[in-house]
Amino acid sequence: MMLCSADMPSYTFAMKAQKILKARGYLCEIKRNTSSAESGCGYYISVSGNCSEIKNILESYSVPFEKMRKESDDEQKYN
Amino acid sequence: MNRNIINFDNSATTFPKPLEVRHAVSNAIREYGGNAGRGGHQLSQKTSSAVFSARENIADFFGAEPENVVFTLNCTHALNLAIQGIMSQGGHMIISELEHNSSARPAFELLRKNKIKLSVARVFPDDEKTVNSFRELIMPDTKAIVCTGASNVTGQILPFRQLAKLCNEKNICFIVDSAQTSGIIDIKISDGINILCTAGHKGLYGISGTGLLISDGKFPIYPIIQGGTGSASSSLKQPVFLPDSLESGTLNIPGIMSVSAGIDFIRKTGMQKIFSHETHLCDIFIDSLKNIPQIIIYRSPDAHYVPIISFNVKGINSEETARILSENGFCLRAGFHCSALAHNALGTDTGTVRFSPSVFNSEREVYAIANLIKNLEIYKK
Repeated sequence: MMLCSADMPSYTFAMKAQKILKARGYLCEIKRNTSSAESGCGYYISVSGNCSEIKNILESYSVPFEKMRKESDDEQKYN
Repeated sequence: MNRNIINFDNSATTFPKPLEVRHAVSNAIREYGGNAGRGGHQLSQKTSSAVFSARENIADFFGAEPENVVFTLNCTHALNLAIQGIMSQGGHMIISELEHNSSARPAFELLRKNKIKLSVARVFPDDEKTVNSFRELIMPDTKAIVCTGASNVTGQILPFRQLAKLCNEKNICFIVDSAQTSGIIDIKISDGINILCTAGHKGLYGISGTGLLISDGKFPIYPIIQGGTGSASSSLKQPVFLPDSLESGTLNIPGIMSVSAGIDFIRKTGMQKIFSHETHLCDIFIDSLKNIPQIIIYRSPDAHYVPIISFNVKGINSEETARILSENGFCLRAGFHCSALAHNALGTDTGTVRFSPSVFNSEREVYAIANLIKNLEIYKK
């Protein structure tokens, strides 16, 4: 399964993103960023889906996000 | 609640609170022990989730986006954030002559410090005349118009929808003090309001220590308070996005839950039903007292009102009237109601007594206070 993760600027936006994506059938979890929280709130969303699709959806709802990246199943397992 | 006490001071803060509000506060204390938006542990995430749900509920009620709902300490706090934040680079601002001190004092303070130019617009019973009085004061550098949705002294509803249209045409930020209108009349960001400030503990039936600033996101608000937001924690710069930019410090979780539960109560009861009930109680009050020559009621037949009545008994100071009523179990506020401008406009140099019912008051209670006022000893002198 393709996984995509995006660092979020605040928990409010993480929740908003999760709600929008779940309404479109994506599995989406809010997780604590354990490696670095330099620019964001320390939370990221982990979504089962293609990053470009996720990016388009979030942008269409004006939901800001920071780093977006593909996540491997292995990374997911150890998060 | 003490059965011998009847509260007609609901414009100050509604009491009693609905059962669901009391339950929400109790539940928040029991369940939401984490600090919202901070930390990744279960308590924090559970609390953050509950805060977001409340934010969504409140946003839906006011026709806004959840991230544009800012939790504040009260309406005064929200208005200070809005006024000082929007006027931080100077410019001209217009306020109405019926503004509460929560708008008037920050505006006059900025004027005293020569940071802004300020005009005060007259208000008339006729809405068109009121809109024109604002229009005539607009200057090329007018940045904001601040207007109360309804006067906290007389209850007069101001033409906020027409003023929103005027502001939108001129690209002026329109800030509304909705302390006396929220939960009573349907007022929304989608009415063209750029920033709506309100109390959580009045018509929204939340607990004291709650307020809201709701923005449409069009005008950036410079934060007058900086601090911890849970976001961008390693940076020394305040975040620029809402709600974090204006929400420094730990949130009042029981308070937030109480406001959300209060809104659920309003939805369940029906805002129109609440307005009709309270207006009916005001009508009884006026009808009972209108033929007593010693009673002055500060209302115009041409204006529209929320359920608030200011009155005086001729020959008695407003504070003395309120004292007599209080001794008989009725709680009403006398004096100037933190509205120096409004009392100046009304010419009430010793203040007024304010009657403001809530959804929990009954006809019987209104007849009881009206009978007491009718039979005051002063008439016999």
